[in-house]
Amino acid sequence: MEIAGQDAELPEIRRRSRYFALLAVIAFLGIAGRLFYLQVIQGDAFFRVTSDNIVHTDLLPAVRGQIRDHKGKVLATVRPSYNVYVTPRLLTADGFTRLRAVLGMNGDEAIDVWERVQSGVGGGSDPKAAERPVLLAEDISREAMAAIETGVDLPGVKIVSGPRRSYPQGVLAAHVLGYMNEISADELRAKKDEGYRPGDLIGRTGIERQWDGYLRGRAGFQKIVVDRRGLPKPDIHDIIDGPASQPAVAGNNVILTIDADVQRFTERAMRNVSAAGVVVMEVDTGRILAMASKPSFDPNEMSGHLTIEAEQRLLADRYHPLHDKTLAETYYPGSTFKPVSAISALEDRLITPADQVKCRGSFEIARRRFKCTKTHGIVSLYDAIVQSCNVYFYELGARPGMMDRLAKYGSDLGLGAPTGLGLNGEDGGFLPTEEWYREQKLHNPKAEGFQVGQALNAVIGQGSTRVTLLQMALLYSAIANGGKLWLPQIVERVESPDGQTLEEFAPRVRREISVAPETLAIVRQALVGVVNESKGTAFRSRLKDIEVAGKTGTAQVHGRHTELGGYEGGDHAWFVGFAPAGRPKIAIAALVEHGGHGGDVTAPIVMEIVHNYFDNVDPADKDAPHIGLPRRHNHSVELPETAEGEGEAP
Amino acid sequence: MMQPRGVGWRRLRFRFDWTLTLSAAAVTSLGLINLWSAVHERQSNLFSQQISWLGLGVAVFLGVAMLDYRTISRYAYILHGVGISLLVGVLVLGKTVGGGRRWFDVGPFHVQPSELVQLLTAVALGKYLNDSPALEGRTWRHLAIPVAIVSLPAWLIAKQPDFGTAFLLLLVFFTIMMTARLKLRTLWSIIGFAMLAAAPIYQHLLHEYQRKRFEAFLNPTSEGAYQTRQALNAIGSGRFLGKGFMHGTQIRLRHFPALWTDFPFAVWAEEWGFVGCFVLLLAYLVLILWILKVAGDARDRFGATVCVGVAAMLFWHVAINVGMVSGILPVVGVTLPMVSYGGSSILTIAAALGLVMNVSVRRFSY
Repeated sequence: MEIAGQDAELPEIRRRSRYFALLAVIAFLGIAGRLFYLQVIQGDAFFRVTSDNIVHTDLLPAVRGQIRDHKGKVLATVRPSYNVYVTPRLLTADGFTRLRAVLGMNGDEAIDVWERVQSGVGGGSDPKAAERPVLLAEDISREAMAAIETGVDLPGVKIVSGPRRSYPQGVLAAHVLGYMNEISADELRAKKDEGYRPGDLIGRTGIERQWDGYLRGRAGFQKIVVDRRGLPKPDIHDIIDGPASQPAVAGNNVILTIDADVQRFTERAMRNVSAAGVVVMEVDTGRILAMASKPSFDPNEMSGHLTIEAEQRLLADRYHPLHDKTLAETYYPGSTFKPVSAISALEDRLITPADQVKCRGSFEIARRRFKCTKTHGIVSLYDAIVQSCNVYFYELGARPGMMDRLAKYGSDLGLGAPTGLGLNGEDGGFLPTEEWYREQKLHNPKAEGFQVGQALNAVIGQGSTRVTLLQMALLYSAIANGGKLWLPQIVERVESPDGQTLEEFAPRVRREISVAPETLAIVRQALVGVVNESKGTAFRSRLKDIEVAGKTGTAQVHGRHTELGGYEGGDHAWFVGFAPAGRPKIAIAALVEHGGHGGDVTAPIVMEIVHNYFDNVDPADKDAPHIGLPRRHNHSVELPETAEGEGEAP
Repeated sequence: MMQPRGVGWRRLRFRFDWTLTLSAAAVTSLGLINLWSAVHERQSNLFSQQISWLGLGVAVFLGVAMLDYRTISRYAYILHGVGISLLVGVLVLGKTVGGGRRWFDVGPFHVQPSELVQLLTAVALGKYLNDSPALEGRTWRHLAIPVAIVSLPAWLIAKQPDFGTAFLLLLVFFTIMMTARLKLRTLWSIIGFAMLAAAPIYQHLLHEYQRKRFEAFLNPTSEGAYQTRQALNAIGSGRFLGKGFMHGTQIRLRHFPALWTDFPFAVWAEEWGFVGCFVLLLAYLVLILWILKVAGDARDRFGATVCVGVAAMLFWHVAINVGMVSGILPVVGVTLPMVSYGGSSILTIAAALGLVMNVSVRRFSY
C-alpha cells in the first residue's frame, strides 16, 4: 500500500467523519424533538383518542332478490320477521316463565334456552357476557309479538325485526326453488373473498343455490367509534380503517321460465300417486314450464324452521322428499327408449318401416328366453312401438354392433351426459357400450363381459341404461320439433331491484341432431298410434279433443340377480310425449316410482296436464291439425288380428 | 508484514473492542424485548427464529472479525460481483410478494440480498478509494468508477422494485464519497441534477402504490395513510413513560402489515414512551459515533472507508425508519437495524460490525 497517499488523506478523512458524526447527532436530536412533540406535548391528546375507544361495526343486511315465475308471480321473497332477544342479567326466572308461555315453548326446549341464557350470567370468564343480548326465539308469530309488546311487561326483553326469506306459494315448485340455511365453516373458508360472513344464510339447493350470487346482494356496514361504556364518540374518526359506512346493495330478482299455473296443475295431476316426477317443457324453446317432484317439502320450513323431528321425518321418508326426481335421480327408460332404438335401426338402414317380425311372445338366443309383454303376432316397426312389442326390438338387438349403435344415437339425442341445466346436482345418466361391458370384466372377474343378452336388454331400455326425466323431455322435444336438441332453460332473465332487466337469456340449441327428418316423421307417426290406435298402450287415456303423441314405459326395477319385494319391487311407470301431435307445443316426461304400468298409471297424469294446459294456458293451439292414424293400405297393420292365434298355438 | 497463523484470534482477544460490542448488544437486547411484545400473541415462533438468527449473527461477527481485513480487501471486487449476481438471482428466481421481487428461497429461508449488497458495495468502494489516492480532493472525473460500482446494484434494487433501499444505497454512497473528500462543489451540482430528475422519476419510474404512499405522506388524513396514522396514535399515546411492557394496544393487537419488519419502533414507543425512545436512540448514537471513531483511527483508507460505510448504513436506516414511523418521512420499507425481525438484516449487520471490529482490532498494526 502506498504510504504517501495514506498519510496525506487519512487526517482529512478523519476530519470529515467528524462532520458526519455531527450530522448524526443533529439528526438524532431532530428525531428526538419530533418524538418529544408527539409523546410529551401531544401525548395526552393521542392517548385520549386511542385509549378506550373501540370501533363498532354494525352490519346492514342486504335484501335478497325475489324469485318470480314467467308471469311475475312471486315464488320467493323477503318479509319482515321478529326475533326476541333477552339480556341475561335482567331476565328473572319468573319473567322467563311468562315469556315461554307467550312463545309456546315446550318443556325440553325451554330448559335448553334457559340454560343458554343462564350460561352468560354465571360464566366468570367474561364479565360482559351477562350484558350481551342473547337470541331467544326467531321469527315469532304476530300474536306472540303483540302479546309481548302489550301484555308482558318484562325488563331485558327486546324485539328486533330483521328480513327473512319466505316462499308465499308454500310447497309449490319446492325442488326448483330450493331452500336456504346457515353457511358452514368450510364454505365460509372457501368463499371468504365473496363477502360471506358467519351466520349468513346461503342457498342450499335449487335456484337459491345456483343463483345465490345474483340473489344475495351485498351487505353494507356502518362503523362508529364507541368508548368503553358503549357511548358513541362521533368526533373521533382516526382509528377507523377505510370508509366509515357503506350502504347495503339489494340482490337482483331472478325470473324463471316456470309458469306457476302449469306448475300448480302439474302437481295436482300427481295427487293420486306417492312418488313421482314430471317435467313440462316448451318444444320450440327448451324452456321448462313446470318441474315437479313428489313428495315435496316446504321451503319455508326448511329455511330456518326445521325442527329436529321434522328433519328426521324428512330423511327417513321412504319416498325421499328432499330428492329431486326430475334430474338428480336416474331410471331405466324402459320402453320409452324404443324410439331411440327405432331411430338407430332406421338411420343405419338395418330395417325399413315395412319390415315385419313375428312375435311368439318370447325371443330365444344363446339358450336364454327373453319375454315379450304378450304375443303380438306379425308386427312392423309401427306396430312394435304402438303395442310395445319387445320381440321386434330383441331381433334388432341381436344384430352385431347394436349396443354401440344405441350409444351413438342415444348420446346424439342427449342421453348419457348432463343436459347442462346444472340444478340440484344434475345426473348425466348412462349409456353402456360393448367396450364398457368388457372393461367391467377386467375389474371384476365375476362380471359377464359383453354378451348379446345385454344388447337385447339395452334395446328395450333395461340393462345398464339410465336416464333422467329432464333428458327424456328434451329427447322427445327433439323428436317433436324435427331435430333441435335444446339446452334446457329455467331462468328467463335477471332484473335489478328496481325492475331493470340486467340479463335476458334466449333459448339456446345444444345441437341439431343428425337424424333424417323422414325418420323422425316415422317415429312421430308411431307415437301418435300409441295413444290413438285402439291397440295402443295408452289408448284408454286418450283425450277427445287434443291429439297427443307419446310412449308408455314400464321399467323393471330389479335385475336378474336381485329380488325386491313390496313397494320397492314394483315397476316404474313412464309416459313421455308431446302435444298437439300435429303442431307440437309442449313435451312432457313423467314417471311414477313403482307405479306399475305406464299406460295405466302415468299416461292419465300426462293427459290431465295436457288437457289443463290447452284449456287454460294456450287454448289457441287446441285446434292444431291432427296427424291421424296411418291408412291401412299394407297388411302389416291388418295382419295382427289373425296372427295372434298362430303365435299361441305351439 | 506477514502475520503468523493464529495471531488473529490472539489480537482479537487482547484488543477486543468492548464499546462496539456492548453498544451493539444493548440495541439488540432492546430489540429482542420489543419483538417479544410484538409477536408473542400471534406469531411467537418469529421470536425463537430471531434468537437463532442472532446466534448465527454472533458467529458471523466473530468470523469476519478474525479474518484479516486486508485479505477481505483483496477479494472486494469479487464479493461485489457476488452481491450483484444475488440481485440478478432475485430478479430471475425471486418470489413476488406484495408487488415486488425482493426475496428468493434457499431451502426454508427467504434471502433478501439488498441489505448485504449495501455492505459489499461499501467494501468495493473502500478497495477502490484505497487503491487510487487523490490528494487534491475528488471531483467529477474521480467519480466514474465509484459511480459504476454503486449504480449497477442501485439499479437492480430499484428494479425489484424497492426504491427505499435503492435510495438508501445512494445515501450511503454519497456519505462515503463525502468523507473520501469529494469536493463540495461537485456534490452541489449532483444534488442540482438529482432535483431536476426527481419529477420525471416520480411520474414515470415509481409504481402506483409508491406514489400513493408518497401522497399519503403529504396528506395524512387520506385513506391510504391508515398505517401512518396508526403508528402516530401508537407513538403519541405512549406519552412520557409509556404504557408498559406488553401493554401496548394500538398496533400490537390489530392487523398491522409489516409490523415486526418495518414498524417495531411504534410498538417500542407506545410501550416505553419518550424515555424508552430516548434510550434506544442513544444506544444507536453511541454505536454510530464509536464506529466513526474507529474509522478515524484506521491505519488505511480501506479500513476507514468501510467503517464510514457501516456507520452510514446504520445511521440512514435508523433515521429513515424512525422518520417514517413518526410521520416525518413517507413510508418506505426500510428496517430498523437489530430491532426488526429478519435474518438477512441481522446477518448483514453482524458482518458489518465484524468488519468494524476487524479494523478496530488492527488499528495499531502495520
